Amino acid sequence: MAVNSVEDILNLLISSAFRRCRMLDDLCRLSVSLKPTRPSVLISVSDTGTGNILEEFSELEYKNNRILSGKWDGLLSVMTTSSSDKEIHHLKFDLKEVVASRRLVRLPSVTKSGAKFSGTEVSLSLYEEIDGLVTMLHLYLQKILLLKAFVSSDKLFTFPMFHKIAIELIVESGGGTKSFFLQNACSTPATNAVNSYNLTLGLEEYVSKHGNKLTEACHSCFSTGKNLKVGTGVACSKENHQNSGQVMEVVIIISNMSMLDQSSCSRLYGRRTEVLYFNDFSPCSMPQSSLEALNSIDWKNYGLVLKSVGDLDGITILDTLPCSHSNRTDRYLTRKALKLALSDLKKRNTGTLLSERAVKICNYAPDLAKTISGLIMSSLDLNFKRECFSLLGLPSPECEKDIVENCIKDKIVSVIATNDSGRRGTKEAPALFEQGPKKAFQGVGEYFDTS
Amino acid sequence: MARRHLCYNRFELLKQIRELTRSIVEDICGGRSPILRIDQFSSYCADVSGNCCCSYDLPIRKEILVLQRESQVRRLDLLLRVLLIVQQLLQENKHCSKRDIYYMYPSAFKEQSVVDRAINDICILLHCSRHNLNVVSVGNGLVMGWLRFSEAGRKFDCIGSPNKTYHIPVQVEDVEDIFSLANYILIVEKESVFQRLANDQFCRQNRAIVVTGRGYPDIPTRRFLNLLVGTLHLPVYCLVDCDPYGIDILVTYRFGSMQMAYDSKYLRLPEIRWLGAFPSDSENYQLPQQCLLNLTTEDKKKAEAVLCRCYMEREVPHWRSELQLLLDRGVKFEIEALSAQSITFLSEKYLPSKIERGVHL
Repeated sequence: MAVNSVEDILNLLISSAFRRCRMLDDLCRLSVSLKPTRPSVLISVSDTGTGNILEEFSELEYKNNRILSGKWDGLLSVMTTSSSDKEIHHLKFDLKEVVASRRLVRLPSVTKSGAKFSGTEVSLSLYEEIDGLVTMLHLYLQKILLLKAFVSSDKLFTFPMFHKIAIELIVESGGGTKSFFLQNACSTPATNAVNSYNLTLGLEEYVSKHGNKLTEACHSCFSTGKNLKVGTGVACSKENHQNSGQVMEVVIIISNMSMLDQSSCSRLYGRRTEVLYFNDFSPCSMPQSSLEALNSIDWKNYGLVLKSVGDLDGITILDTLPCSHSNRTDRYLTRKALKLALSDLKKRNTGTLLSERAVKICNYAPDLAKTISGLIMSSLDLNFKRECFSLLGLPSPECEKDIVENCIKDKIVSVIATNDSGRRGTKEAPALFEQGPKKAFQGVGEYFDTS
Repeated sequence: MARRHLCYNRFELLKQIRELTRSIVEDICGGRSPILRIDQFSSYCADVSGNCCCSYDLPIRKEILVLQRESQVRRLDLLLRVLLIVQQLLQENKHCSKRDIYYMYPSAFKEQSVVDRAINDICILLHCSRHNLNVVSVGNGLVMGWLRFSEAGRKFDCIGSPNKTYHIPVQVEDVEDIFSLANYILIVEKESVFQRLANDQFCRQNRAIVVTGRGYPDIPTRRFLNLLVGTLHLPVYCLVDCDPYGIDILVTYRFGSMQMAYDSKYLRLPEIRWLGAFPSDSENYQLPQQCLLNLTTEDKKKAEAVLCRCYMEREVPHWRSELQLLLDRGVKFEIEALSAQSITFLSEKYLPSKIERGVHL
C-alpha cells in the first residue's frame, strides 16, 4: 500500500486500529493523541484490539516525494501485544529504508507481568501544524463515525461511534489536554444486517448535522427527527476461485427539510447529493466501477436526474478520486444494492422517489380527490355517505371537506406509488457466484436533499 | 351480450352513480387502482365489402381506465368532474347544456369535445342516453307542417298554420299528444331550402311534415324524428345537396354518428329514403352547366371516407353507387340549383313529382 501524504498515513493507522478492534470479540478502545513537541507533533494511535500487526506494516510502501519527506521521517514506533503474548513487543519501522531486511528493528520487549491484554500503539512524529492535523482527523473520524451513531456524552465533543469501540481524540497543548471522548457500550455482533443498521444510524446523524457539524444535530431542522427518509439495499456475491465474496450495502437518506437561508443550516455541498464510500470499514474514494454503476442507474425511474457525477446539481460525489481498478463485480454490486436501496426507500416512504411518469399521474391526485370527495359529500343519501366514510376510516359524515379530500388524496398517491414500485422488480439481488459470502463490507451512504 | 339500454329515471341513475363512486372508494382504500371499463361502440368499420359483423348496438371493445397512464388519469379526472355535475343536476332535477358544463371548469376541460367525450363515457357506464343525465343541447332543428304536439304543457299546433316554423323541442322526452294529418315526413338538409318551402307554402299544397336539422342533425332533431316516425309510422324522405357532405348528412340520419354510436338505436332512422338530389338529376332536370361545381380535394376525401364504410355496401348499395358516380363525375351541385329554372320549381314540381312517382332510393 502506497503512502503519499500525511493524510494517507494517518488514515491508514486509524483504519488499521479499527480493524484490530473489530477483530476483537470484546469492547475496545481506540485513542488518537496529538502532542506538540516543537517543531514536530507526536502522534500516537493506540487501540486495545488484537495485536500482532507485522504484516500490515510490511505491505506499506513509502513514496519518497518532496512534500512528504519534509513532513515525516518515515519512522514508526510500534508497541504491540496479543492476549496470548507474555510481553509487549517494541518495534521500529523505517519505511524509508530501501533494504527490506533493515526496515524492521526489534527493540527490547516489555514484560506484561502476567497480565492478559492485547493492544497496539503506533507513534510517529510529523512536522505539521497541530491545528491542521486536528481538522484532518476530525474529517476522517466524521466519516468513520457514519458506520455507527451512538451515545452522547457530556464531554466537550460528542461523536457517534462504532458499535463496540470507544474512541478518544486527545490533543495536548500548552494550556492542557483536550479530550474528545467517544464512548459506546453496545456489543452487537457485526453481522451484515447490523452493518446496514449502523450505517443508517450514522448517516442519519451525519445528515442531521448537515454534514458539517461535529457536535450536535441541527435542532432547528431536525427537532422531530422525522424529516429523513431512509432506504437500504444489500447485494452479495459469493466467493469462488476467481473472486472473493463481497457484500455491498447501500443506505440512502433523503432530507425533506427546506434549506434555510442560515449559514448554520447550510450544507457544505448545498443541495447536491453527497456519496460517502467505505471499503472494509474505511472511508475511501469511490472506485471507478462504482462510479460507473451510479451513472448506469436509470434515475428517471425515481424521478431524479443525474446531471453529472462529481459536480453540478443533482449529485455530487465526495472523494471521487478514481480508483486504480475497475471491477465488474463492484459495478454490479453497487448498482444492485443502490437500486434495492432506492426501491426500499420508495416502499417505506409513500410518494417519495416516484418515477417521472408517476409524478405526472400524482399531479391529478388532488383534483381526483376533490371530485371523489364531492361525489360523496354532495350525495343526499346518508347511508351511502356513512358507508364511504367507514371505508375511508373516517369517523363520521360530519368530517370537514379538507379532511376527506386529504384522506382520499393520500390513498390515491399510495396506489400510484405502489403501482410505480410494482413496475420494477424489487426482488433481492441474486448472488453472482457460488459458495458462501465472505465478510467483506462495502458500504455506500448517499444523502439526497430534496428541498 | 346485447347492451341493456334502460330508460332510467333519475333516482335509478343516482343509485348507479353512488355505486360507481363506492367502487372507486373501495378500490383506493384497498390499495388498488380504480378500474373503469368503458364499452366502445362503432357505427361502422372500414370493410368496403360490407361482409363484416358490425353491429350498431354491441360494443366492439372495452377501454379500461386505471391510474397508470397520464392520459387515462386525465380522462378519469374529467369524467368524474362531469359525473359530479350530473349527480347535482339529477339530485336537484335541473337541466343544463354541454356548454354549461364546459364553462364550469373551462381551464380543466380546455375544449368542448373533452366534455362531450366525458358525457358519452358516463352514458355508456350508466347505460343511458345523454338526456337521462339531464344534459341537453340547445335544439337546432326546425319543423313545420301537418303536426300537433305538446311539450311539458306547451302546445305546438303546426296544423293551424302549416307553413309556420317551429323550433324542435329540446326536451324530446317531454313531447306527447302527437297528432298528424300528414302523408309523409320530409327532411331537408339546409335551412335555406326549408325556408324556400315555407315561403312557397309547400305544406299548404302537400300533406307533409317538414324538418331540417340545419346541416348535420343534432340529438334533439334526430330523437324528435325518431319519435315522430315511431309514433306516426309515416314514410320519411330526405333531400340533401348532391355533394359528399350532403350524402354524409343523409347517412347520419340513416345510421347515426360515430360519436354517438353507443346511443344510435335511439337516434337512427332506418326507414329514411333518399329523395334527392341525385347526380343524375343534373341531366334529368337539365341543370345549367354553371351550377355544376368541381369536387374539391376535401370533397373527394369525404366521399372516399363514406364509400369505405361497411354499411354503405351492406345496407344501402344504391346510395353507395350514386356516391361513387358523384365521385367519378367529379362535379356536385346544391339543391338550390334546381331553382334555376323557376323559383318554385322545387316545391311545385321536383318534390311532388318525385314523391308521387316514388323516385327515391
